[in-house]
Amino acid sequence: MTTLSTQKPSNPISRFFRWFFYRSRGDSPFKTILIHAALIIACVIAVYPVLRVVTISLRPNDTLLTTDLRIIPENATLDNYKEVLFGSPEKNRKSDFFLWIWNSISIVAVTSVISVILASISAYAFSRFKFPGRSAGLVFLLTTQMIPAGMLLLPLFIMIAKLKMINTPLGLLIAYAVTAVPLTIWTLKGYYDTIPVDLEEAALIDGANRFTVFTNIILPLSTPALAIAFLFSFMGGWSEYLVARVVLQKNESFTWPLGIFTYAQQFTVSWGQFAAASVLIAIPVMALFLYSSKWLISGLTLGSVKG
Amino acid sequence: MENENTFRRYLPTVLWIAALTAVYFTLNTLISPYADGITLNGKIVSEHVKELGGFLLGIFGSIALIEIYIYQMFFRTPKDLVSKIVTRTLQVIVAIAMVMVIATFLETTDLFRMGDNPIGNFFRSPITGFTNLKDTLISSGIATKDSATAVAGVFVSLLLLVVFAFIHFTSVPRNSRYGLAYLLILPAFLGVLFLIIYPFLFEIKLAFSNASLGTQATKNAQYGLQYGWANLVALFTGSVAKDAKFFEVLWRTILWTVINVTFHVAGGMGLAILLHRPMKLQGVYRTLLIFPWAIPATIAAMALRNEFDSRYGLFNILLGNLNTWLTNVSHGTASIIGIGNMFAWLAAHIGPVSWKQDPFWAFVSILISNIWLGIPFMSVIILGGLQSISQEYYEAAEIDGASKWQQFRNITIPLLRPVLTPAIVLGVVWTFNKFDIIYLITQGGPQEKTDILVSSMYKAAFSFYRYGFTAMFALVIFAILFLFTIFYLRITGGLKSATE
Amino acid sequence: MASVIYNNVIKNFGNVEVIKNLNFEVKDKEFLVLVGPSGCGKTTALRMLAGLEEITAGEISIGDRVVNDVAPKDRDIAMVFQSYALYPHMSVFDNMAFGLKLRKTSKDEIKRRVNEAAEILDITHLLDRKPRQLSGGQRQRVAVGRAIVREPKVFLFDEPLSNLDAKLRVQMRAEISKLHQRLQTTFIYVTHDQTEAMTMASRIAVINKGILQQLDTPQMLYDHPNNLFVAGFIGSPSMNFFPAKLSVSGGKVMVDVDTFQVQVPDALAGPYKNMDGKKVVFGIRPENIHDPEFAPPNIHGEKVSAKVDVTELMGNETFLYLVNGKNIFIARVDPRSQKRVGDEVQVIFDMDKFHVFDVETEEAIR
Ligand SMILES: Nc1ncnc2c1ncn2[C@@H]1O[C@H](COP(=O)(O)OP(=O)(O)OP(=O)(O)O)[C@@H](O)[C@H]1O
Ligand SMILES: [Mg+2]
Repeated sequence: MTTLSTQKPSNPISRFFRWFFYRSRGDSPFKTILIHAALIIACVIAVYPVLRVVTISLRPNDTLLTTDLRIIPENATLDNYKEVLFGSPEKNRKSDFFLWIWNSISIVAVTSVISVILASISAYAFSRFKFPGRSAGLVFLLTTQMIPAGMLLLPLFIMIAKLKMINTPLGLLIAYAVTAVPLTIWTLKGYYDTIPVDLEEAALIDGANRFTVFTNIILPLSTPALAIAFLFSFMGGWSEYLVARVVLQKNESFTWPLGIFTYAQQFTVSWGQFAAASVLIAIPVMALFLYSSKWLISGLTLGSVKG
Repeated sequence: MENENTFRRYLPTVLWIAALTAVYFTLNTLISPYADGITLNGKIVSEHVKELGGFLLGIFGSIALIEIYIYQMFFRTPKDLVSKIVTRTLQVIVAIAMVMVIATFLETTDLFRMGDNPIGNFFRSPITGFTNLKDTLISSGIATKDSATAVAGVFVSLLLLVVFAFIHFTSVPRNSRYGLAYLLILPAFLGVLFLIIYPFLFEIKLAFSNASLGTQATKNAQYGLQYGWANLVALFTGSVAKDAKFFEVLWRTILWTVINVTFHVAGGMGLAILLHRPMKLQGVYRTLLIFPWAIPATIAAMALRNEFDSRYGLFNILLGNLNTWLTNVSHGTASIIGIGNMFAWLAAHIGPVSWKQDPFWAFVSILISNIWLGIPFMSVIILGGLQSISQEYYEAAEIDGASKWQQFRNITIPLLRPVLTPAIVLGVVWTFNKFDIIYLITQGGPQEKTDILVSSMYKAAFSFYRYGFTAMFALVIFAILFLFTIFYLRITGGLKSATE
Repeated sequence: MASVIYNNVIKNFGNVEVIKNLNFEVKDKEFLVLVGPSGCGKTTALRMLAGLEEITAGEISIGDRVVNDVAPKDRDIAMVFQSYALYPHMSVFDNMAFGLKLRKTSKDEIKRRVNEAAEILDITHLLDRKPRQLSGGQRQRVAVGRAIVREPKVFLFDEPLSNLDAKLRVQMRAEISKLHQRLQTTFIYVTHDQTEAMTMASRIAVINKGILQQLDTPQMLYDHPNNLFVAGFIGSPSMNFFPAKLSVSGGKVMVDVDTFQVQVPDALAGPYKNMDGKKVVFGIRPENIHDPEFAPPNIHGEKVSAKVDVTELMGNETFLYLVNGKNIFIARVDPRSQKRVGDEVQVIFDMDKFHVFDVETEEAIR
């Protein structure tokens, strides 16, 4: 080391090479370039297939089948979007797009609301009280996560059928709540555990009862966690296909994943419309996701470190 | 000062309202010309809202009634002997009614049949009574057909509330150590009971039946051990869906799980390590790299399915271009002996493949898709783990003379374990059960050569309607996962740390 | 304004008995300090009074009311936590107003009281901030402020100063004392720092292993510790102890420490007259051991020879670490003393201020 650094490289080329390949602290430019190259390649792999969807959605109908790889196609047009959103009077076809979105939103939002409310309350008990059956309950909730989602589908399906809830939002709502509640309880319990008990005791002395402690101290302090829990269960149901396909069989009760699959199924594969619908749905979701990813991630790592 | 404060306080609300109104009117003016082409309309929306709202109200209303009931058990004690007798009698009556309602519910969903005998009728009486109540309400004009359930529900709730009020006023408060905890977990517990335990029991029963399309699901199904045995035999010797055999599919499932999780962890680790260093554009990279996770999985799967098209899909276009390029190079270098041959050989072997018809490539196609989708999640988890490792460990190790690789082996990996182990185990379980990608991309084809256990099961149930068989199939899959979990718990020393 | 009574209070955590039969009374308007080593049960005793911990057996009363089954909010107490427990999502004002709001106090009244408390504590300029924007000392003041706006009957403090630096601690000590004088309310204050206890308390309760050792004024505790534990715990540096034997001959009582003997002055010898040969622990405080050159006149001095092992010059005084036989002890002598390490010296034990404890019971004999 010392001999190396005292030896002054005389010619500029070898000096450049030393600067380029060797650093005692930090990364050499060579390494930096390699790292950036690797990351750029990874980014292209991650993003390009997504961009292709946009590309396809912009293609005019007659050039859909092409081997062109450009991102903005020739004669780019918004026709596909128009047809997806508003139907096409020429083909005498109406658009179900808004209906599907509405179905999805209403079902998934109600599922999430129910599961967050139920979970936030029971997670509080699991976090703060010691009672017989507590750890058994927690382990049990975790084991339910081991049950394949598909496994309960058949009995649930029969149950929903017997209750005459096929093709209703309620049937799907029941099916979705299955997966949402236990996981939400775990996430929230992990978060509550990080709130110091002192705060609650201070509030008790200040004149609060258990209920006001929960509403005035715990809930405001855990809004980020509640938001994450809501988002998780929302995301979980939002793009679900397999359960929905079983429970919902009529076009007007479809959620959007079922809906856009009909584009892909038709004999005259409506690729352009499928792509346009996908973009319309994905953009707000992705924006929300990227915006909230910081919290999502902190919620995830919190849960995984804790549990 | 005071005025400014109130102004400040209400400003955000005012802005919100203004913005929402603006959005509403713009949307309205934009969309109204096209309203004819849209199937969604106010009527559908209001119907949905009514339906879901009623459901929510019903759920939370019944939970509230149950909570009051349990609350009184824990926190009230009757004042004197007379009120004690009356209270306990009332409580027992309510409990019996509850049991009867549950029994009727179970019967409705076909868990068992009570039959058309006095006992069955007795158990059904609360529900029959409720139906009768509805009918009377309708016939007496108090309620319409639509609102009958709601009005009758309110009626029953009021009756219960009167009972509860009576108990309340004839009792004094008392302390309960665990009461509050149980009251708090009760709603979620009821949900889990109803949505997980009950279906699970139902599934076990179904597994010992011959329920299928022919028996109109459970309507005419026969139950008995021999049917369970027959289902089991069929599962292990017959075909699981249509063509594929159990062990073949099991083997493929294991392959699917192992390959996916390996690539997820390796890829995630690689990306996380690259990202876990201060550098320019880090935020941009991070944002771009989680794209596959952020895009709704259904959309991604369907988009990828198109990309595996043999002529117009991205993969074959790329492979085709590569092939052309290799061919050109081999022509250009034909004179150079070794190299020319090599390129010619490459050109002959690398080119578009038939993703849909060839079972091997079909399997590869779903693997590629699922790996692409899963890496960001894993890298985010690992990155979180990396960031929680204090830099000081590395500095200490560096002073001790550890090389970068030794640091990775001796610091990073062990300290990542608390994050990595659960992530891998959950990853295994999830991947084992994850077939939406498969279903959307290949539908298990060709000839069920890309099916995994769960997707075969799904098909057996909902394409071939072999219900009893599917239930047994599900139990076997559950047993496999359960053994895996037990095995894992043995290794890691249980869940103690998680539940303390 | 109220007194507090612990009547045969016992607390178990599972099978572990943490508080064993606690009996004492805190008088109205008194500043009582609970002191003891870490883990001795001070916090538990306080939390039972606050209603945050169930009482296993016995009774606690505030004023004339037994509060065993009274919810914390109805006990009319206020508590300052070691961690301060400020609500992170509320401003300082809201933190202080929270308790009043829950009690449906009118808005004007809340404002008046919060502002008044803020003025007393000099935190008026912080009222709009959130707790995380405050320094440790400021948080501490807010925590105290939150307690005083409530105007409770009893104030509870659980080591409120332990998170502050030394200088701030001294300052806050004085301020809390001042607050006590101003509010004229019962204060119960938990600490493991005996200096804090000595400087602030009207009376001190020393607790060890869940048992009340002695409850008295600081001066009485210091001069007349009931037992070995209290003697060793109160005072810094702590009292010197020597295993010893009493010998009585001809009306004279001698304390025999093997390598040296000291005589008990006749005026104090009464209790020991019939204890010839009894094994005891002999105790004397460092400041009662003098350098002969600077020893005050008119004391019953006894000469003991020793070797200086270490000296600590503090400026206003000097600590000599002395060795005699197997015993090591500390003398707190005049700073002008010229004794240096290695010197063989003679020091003077002031025998008017000695302590003798029974070896078995560890109780003081006097
Ligand atoms: N919730 C609990 N469960 C079991 N043991 C407990 C619990 N709380 C306290 N203890 C035990 O009770 C004993 C007394 O605890 P306490 O907190 O009262 O000590 P302390 O005197 O306040 O100590 P410190 O000066 O360190 O705060 C300790 O041994 C402690 O381990
Ligand atoms: Mg303590």
